[in-house]
Amino acid sequence: MAPSQASHVPTLDGLIKSFNNQSLEASIESLIFLLKRRQVKGDECAKATAYILRQVVAKAKWNDVDQLLSRIASAGSRLARAAPLEPVIGNVVRRVLGLIRDEASEDRNADDIASEAASDIQTLTPATNPSVQPPQRPALPHRPTLSALSSGLQVSKSMFNLLSVAEPGDSPMTGASTPMSQAQPASIHSLRSEVMDGIEEILDEINQADDQIAGFAEIQIHPGDYVLAYQPSRTVERFLVKAASKRRFTVVIAGLEASGAGTEAPYASLRKRLNSAGVKTVNLASNGLMAYIPRVNKVIFSAKAVYQNGGLLVDSGSCIAAQAAHEYLKPVIALCPVYKFCPEDPSDEVSRGELGNPSDYVSYANGPAVGALDVENTVTDYIPPDLVDVYLTNLGPQTQHHLANILADHYKTEDTGFSLQLGEP
Amino acid sequence: MPAETTGAPNTGAPVNTAAPAQDGSKTAPPPANSTAPKAEGEKLTPAQLKAKAKAEKAARRAQVKEARAAAPVPSPVQEKGAVTDGKGGKGKGKPDGQQTQGKGGHSQGRRPSFSGRRPSGAPIEKDVRSTIPDAFSHIPMAKRIPTSQAHKDVHPAVLAVGQQMATFALSDSISRLQATLLAFRKVIESYETPKGNSLSRHFVPHVLNPQIEYLTECRPMCFAMGNAIRLLKGKINKFDINTGDEEAKEGLLEWIDFLINERINLAEYAIARNAALLINEGDTLLTYGRHRLVEKTFLEAKKDGKSFEVTVIDDPFERSGQDLAKVLRQAGIPVLYSPNLGGLRPKVAAATNVFLGGEAIFANGSLHAPSGTADVAMSAANAGVKVIVLCETINFDRDRVSVDSLTYNEIDPERNSAESFRLLFDNTHDKYITGVVTEFESGGGNSPAQAILALLRKQEDPLID
Repeated sequence: MAPSQASHVPTLDGLIKSFNNQSLEASIESLIFLLKRRQVKGDECAKATAYILRQVVAKAKWNDVDQLLSRIASAGSRLARAAPLEPVIGNVVRRVLGLIRDEASEDRNADDIASEAASDIQTLTPATNPSVQPPQRPALPHRPTLSALSSGLQVSKSMFNLLSVAEPGDSPMTGASTPMSQAQPASIHSLRSEVMDGIEEILDEINQADDQIAGFAEIQIHPGDYVLAYQPSRTVERFLVKAASKRRFTVVIAGLEASGAGTEAPYASLRKRLNSAGVKTVNLASNGLMAYIPRVNKVIFSAKAVYQNGGLLVDSGSCIAAQAAHEYLKPVIALCPVYKFCPEDPSDEVSRGELGNPSDYVSYANGPAVGALDVENTVTDYIPPDLVDVYLTNLGPQTQHHLANILADHYKTEDTGFSLQLGEP
Repeated sequence: MPAETTGAPNTGAPVNTAAPAQDGSKTAPPPANSTAPKAEGEKLTPAQLKAKAKAEKAARRAQVKEARAAAPVPSPVQEKGAVTDGKGGKGKGKPDGQQTQGKGGHSQGRRPSFSGRRPSGAPIEKDVRSTIPDAFSHIPMAKRIPTSQAHKDVHPAVLAVGQQMATFALSDSISRLQATLLAFRKVIESYETPKGNSLSRHFVPHVLNPQIEYLTECRPMCFAMGNAIRLLKGKINKFDINTGDEEAKEGLLEWIDFLINERINLAEYAIARNAALLINEGDTLLTYGRHRLVEKTFLEAKKDGKSFEVTVIDDPFERSGQDLAKVLRQAGIPVLYSPNLGGLRPKVAAATNVFLGGEAIFANGSLHAPSGTADVAMSAANAGVKVIVLCETINFDRDRVSVDSLTYNEIDPERNSAESFRLLFDNTHDKYITGVVTEFESGGGNSPAQAILALLRKQEDPLID
């Protein structure tokens, strides 16, 4: 099941389909392979990661929550390492880890409540004891007068587990979660299905995010606007097309030159759709945008990731658009689904940008002359937070100062350090 | 449509039977025809001529009208028909006019030719400009004019220069200026003042202006050309009316040589020298695209034995920076080449100085330069990096002020379609420019961009003005 069978660049759907037929390890390897070759990029990374993690939950061997967490974390960190400048991978892994913790703690709380209730009942009617007995509870003393002792035991147990977390077992990732040390198959089964449902929800969120963001298009785009769309991604395309159904405006499309002069006109399909909706388009063949910004009312592009300081990881060149717009006080709208919010600070590498293939720009055919040059084709940019006016998420528009809330809602503090383990083998 | 060619003034036109559909026209021409054959042999009286012309005109009109009524659906065909009609009219009208030597005949021959040329020229021109978005529709664009359509007074040397400008074989302001001046030199050399005129009165309106018009039509003049032409006209006007022809011509030629030497060649040298002084050992310099002066400056500094690195940021739609990168590399300067503006922020931040070449500088200090320059300058200024602009004073425009890139600009004729649109220049606000290096010596030749008016005033050079 080599991923590069028919075409050189396998589609995401094909890839996901192939996951079902191959072993877990093979799926992970094939995705890593594609990530390293940058054949899976952007939003696709998020989806592919979610699928892989679902496979992990479904196929990997795990007996308790800790093991599951560590399986997810190790698979996730392998993927994240394969594409260090795709923070969405880490985000999805964090989301799944958080999801597992939630499910586990819900179970435990249920257990605790059940056990509390049970012990209360026990104090009254010890005969009912076996029927409500939670699996991992120590056999209760026969004498109801020892209920106080039993609760003491419970405390000591959880304390014990707190310490045991720190032990270097096979679960370095558990954080503060209190594991269910000897979960029974039944509860594991339910946990598995719950987690898989949860991942399904994450996938739904990823799939729907673009449409949800597009729902805000009407508010952001006004009749007669000149909207500069920098390298419109699928998210931006959907946003503009949605806006086109309600508003008459002009879209100025800019971007770096499409690779290869012979390829078809860039964004032809988008322009066709916009034109058919009565929206005019101007395709700029220009890198510099300062000349056009005075004409433009707002700048729209999509982010590859949003860091916790509000900085954006974007396709290269977007930074120029944002800077130019900022100079002329034009609003900069970054479309960023919530799953792209990353509870980290940008690294130096991020601000320096990822280097891409320069052969689109420089012909290495003319050997020594070019060979002596250092050619850097930067393919990602970092945009500092002060250049961005609106973070348009699928939950609505946000400002830089409220990003912390979103992060807190979506990630567990235990998992924010996920990427710190990335460097370790 | 052969029917329509017969409608053209065909002096003895009994061939009219070729038009089966045109019953109306058939009824109209016969009276004209009946008079025509008789008149053929001897000279027509003016009244007869007039009548004949009128009749023919009426016939033609009726024919065209009918053709339109008959075939209203295929409009392109009809248009084509009109064109052939016009051409036919031109081709046959002329000999007719010569034959009769009447005023009416002449105007008749001319008019269809005029209307005939328009439909053939207009649709193309309209097509070219129709793809320009509304917001930019006021901006001029270079266009190729077939040499056959040029005005008859255009000198061959100017003709060649115009073609080169329209095709962007000559693209930057100084090379355009130089080519223009050299062409004007040829024009002056071949000029002879007609009897009863003096050079200072006759040359500009009758000889120079058509050349300028033609050049402007090929491509909007650059500001350096505007300046040079203003200076040239001033120079010509200063000649005394009684100055001898030879003497005046000699003076003008000398003056043009002087201008080229002083304001182009010497300026280039002086700017490169001045700017090279700003480069220090171990600097990282950044530039955008390829500009002659920047290239000269870097090579000059290298010759001085300084070691430094250069980052060349290029415009992927022009790729001229690549040549600069190769030249610098060949000179032994380490070069980092970035083919686009991606990752500009960190690259600019790593630089010590940014050197930019300018196409022109306006009276308010804003820089007119190849598209993308403003972005680099803005990015650098925001990163706290010095932005040094190199520009000859002949490029300074003392009359015009530009606050945005849409005031004075040009559309790239190569990239003007539904698929792409491109402005050739942009406007860099003077707040992004740390200093301008000119050939002017005082204070090391460096001044803030806003000071150009002061600079120009000081520069009143008696030899040039």
